[in-house]
Amino acid sequence: MGPPPDLPPPTYQSPYYAPGAGGYQAPVHRTPWVLIVSAVVGLIVIMAGCGTAYAFLNARNQTSAGVLPSPSPAGTPSPIQTASPPAGSSTASTSAETVTLPPGWAATNSDPTITVTNPTGDGSVVISSGVDNPTQTAQQIKDEITKQLTAKFPDTRTCSGTTTTNGSIGGVSGIWFQLCFTVTSGGQSFPGEFSLWAGANSSGSIGYGVILFTLASRMSAFMNEAKPLVASIQWKLK
Amino acid sequence: MRCDHCAQEAPDGVFCTRCGAHQGTTKESGDAKSREHRYAAHPGEHVAHPAIFTTLFPHLGHHKIHEFRWAFIAGLAGVLVLYLAGLITAAILVSAFLVPVLYLIYLYEAQVYRDEPALVLGFTIGGGVVVGIVVTLFERLIYNPFQYAPNPLTGASVGIGAVLILGLVIPLIQEALKPIPAFFLPNRADFPETVDGLVFGVAAGLGFSLAETLIGFSTTLTSLPPHVAPGNWIYDLATLAVFQPILQGSATGMIVATIWRFRRGRLGGRELGGVAAALLAHIAFSAGTVVMKDAATNPLFILIWQATVDGALLIYIRYLLHYSLLEEAAHMGFAETVCPNCHMHILASGFCPNCGMALSAVPGAVRRSRKPRAELVTPTSKAEK
Repeated sequence: MGPPPDLPPPTYQSPYYAPGAGGYQAPVHRTPWVLIVSAVVGLIVIMAGCGTAYAFLNARNQTSAGVLPSPSPAGTPSPIQTASPPAGSSTASTSAETVTLPPGWAATNSDPTITVTNPTGDGSVVISSGVDNPTQTAQQIKDEITKQLTAKFPDTRTCSGTTTTNGSIGGVSGIWFQLCFTVTSGGQSFPGEFSLWAGANSSGSIGYGVILFTLASRMSAFMNEAKPLVASIQWKLK
Repeated sequence: MRCDHCAQEAPDGVFCTRCGAHQGTTKESGDAKSREHRYAAHPGEHVAHPAIFTTLFPHLGHHKIHEFRWAFIAGLAGVLVLYLAGLITAAILVSAFLVPVLYLIYLYEAQVYRDEPALVLGFTIGGGVVVGIVVTLFERLIYNPFQYAPNPLTGASVGIGAVLILGLVIPLIQEALKPIPAFFLPNRADFPETVDGLVFGVAAGLGFSLAETLIGFSTTLTSLPPHVAPGNWIYDLATLAVFQPILQGSATGMIVATIWRFRRGRLGGRELGGVAAALLAHIAFSAGTVVMKDAATNPLFILIWQATVDGALLIYIRYLLHYSLLEEAAHMGFAETVCPNCHMHILASGFCPNCGMALSAVPGAVRRSRKPRAELVTPTSKAEK
C-alpha cells in the first residue's frame, strides 16, 4: 500500500550546505597544536630553570636553622641539673627513665617511651631507652634511628650547615645530630626538623635516645624551651 | 524528515537537529531521546564515561581534544623527569601550573569569554587565586600537623582532630567560598547557558587550586635543597598535578553550573544532587586521604581513592551538562554553520545532524559565524498548507 494519493512522495532534505565560492569561513580552531604543546614545554623548562635557581639561592642564603651549638643543651654536668625544678612542675616516669615536666608540658607514657609535648602543642620530645641485644654503639643507634625516620619521611636528610657533635644526657655520653624532612598533610607541606641524641652505655648493652621534633623554623626556640626538660632526664637503666 | 521523537520537521540526518534525538535506532541502543549513549558535548562517548578533557573542556571537538591530551601527557612526563632528576622544587611548580595553564589555553581556544577576556578571566581564574590565597593562609593558621603527630616513630594511628579539620571543616569552607568569583561576574547575563557556568566554575576552582598549592608548599619550596632524593615525592606530585586540580575544578564547576541552572529557573533534583555530590566528593577526597595517610596505607591506594572520587564527580557533571544541553540547545534557530566536532558544513538548529553535538557548546568563533536561515520549507509542509 503506497502513500496517500494527495501527498507528494517524501524527498530528501540534506543537512549539509555547500559554502559559496569566495565566501569567508571562520576557522573552527584558532590555536595550533604547536602552541598548545609549546606552552606546556615552556612551562616545564621555565620552572625547571627558575625553580632550581631559586632552590640554589635559598640553599646559599639559608643559615643552619635549629643547629645545636656544641656542646649539647644538657651538656656534661652543669648547674642546671642540680637546680630545683620550677614551681608547678610534675614528673613523668617509665621503667626506663624519669623526667621532670616544666609547667604546661604534657606527657604520654608508653613504656619505655615518654612523649612530652610543649604547652603550644607544636613541638615534642620523645625519650626512650632499652636493652640492646646485640650490643650497639651510639653511632649504630644513630644510624638505626635515621633509618626509621627515613622510612616514615622519605626525604629525610642531614640539615644543611649542621654537624654531628658529642654530648651527654643524664650522665650518658652520646651523639647530637639534626635531620630535616617534609610533612605533607591536607594539601599543605611543612618543613620539619629533628634534633636527635643517641647514646649507649660503656658496654653497649643499653641504648638511649632523645628526639626533639618541631617545625624547622621553630627548632631554635624549641631547643631553648626544652632545655630544662632535657636536663632533668634521669636514666633508670645503666 | 519528521523527527521520531519531537515530531518537528528537520533536515535528514542521524540526529534530529531540533531536539538532538538519535534517529532510526533500535531499543537495544538505549533511549534515543535522552541519548545517554551519545554525550551531548562529545557524542563519541557515553555520558557515564569518566573522561577529564571532554568533561571539563566541553567546547573542544573531536580533533582538538587529542591535542590537549597530548600536551597534558607531555606535562606529566616533564614532572616525572624532574622527579627522577631530584629537582623536586621544579616538579612541584610544574605540577601546580600544568592544568591551570592548559585551561587558560582552552579558554583562549574556545573564546568562552567572547569579547571580554580580561573581565571574565580576572573574575574567574584571578578571583579563584585570590580566594585561594586567603583561604589557604587561614587554613595554615588553624591547622598544625605537629599537633596531631607528636611522636614520629609511633606506628599508624588516625587522628580524629586532623580528620575533622582537614576532612570536613576545610572542604566545606572551600566549597562555600570558591564559587564566589564566578557568582559575582558582572556581565554574567551575557553568558546564560549552563555550559558557560560550568566553565567559569572550573576556571575559578583551578585558580584556587593553584594558589592553594603554591601557598601550602611555600615553606617547602623555600627550604628544599636544589637536589633531593626523590623518595616518595612522586605520589604527592601526582596528587598536585592531576587529582587535586581536577577535584577543585570539578566541584566548583558543578556548583556554579547549578547556580546557572537556578538562574534559568531550572532547579531540580539533578541540580541539587550536583551540589551535594560536589560537597560529598570533596569531603570524601580529603577525609579519605587523611585517614589513609595516618593509617600508613600504601600511597598508591591513596591515589586510587583520589582517582575514584574524581571519576565519580566527573560522571555526575556529565549527566548534569548533558541534560542541560539537550534542553537549552533545543531553542536555537536554523543556521548555516560548521560542526567543530565532525567538521561538516551543516544546516542545523541546536544539534549537528551528523554527529549529534550540541551546538550551544561550540567555540565562540563558530558561534559568531553562524548564518541564520529561515525555517525549513519542505514539500510535506507545503502540501499540508
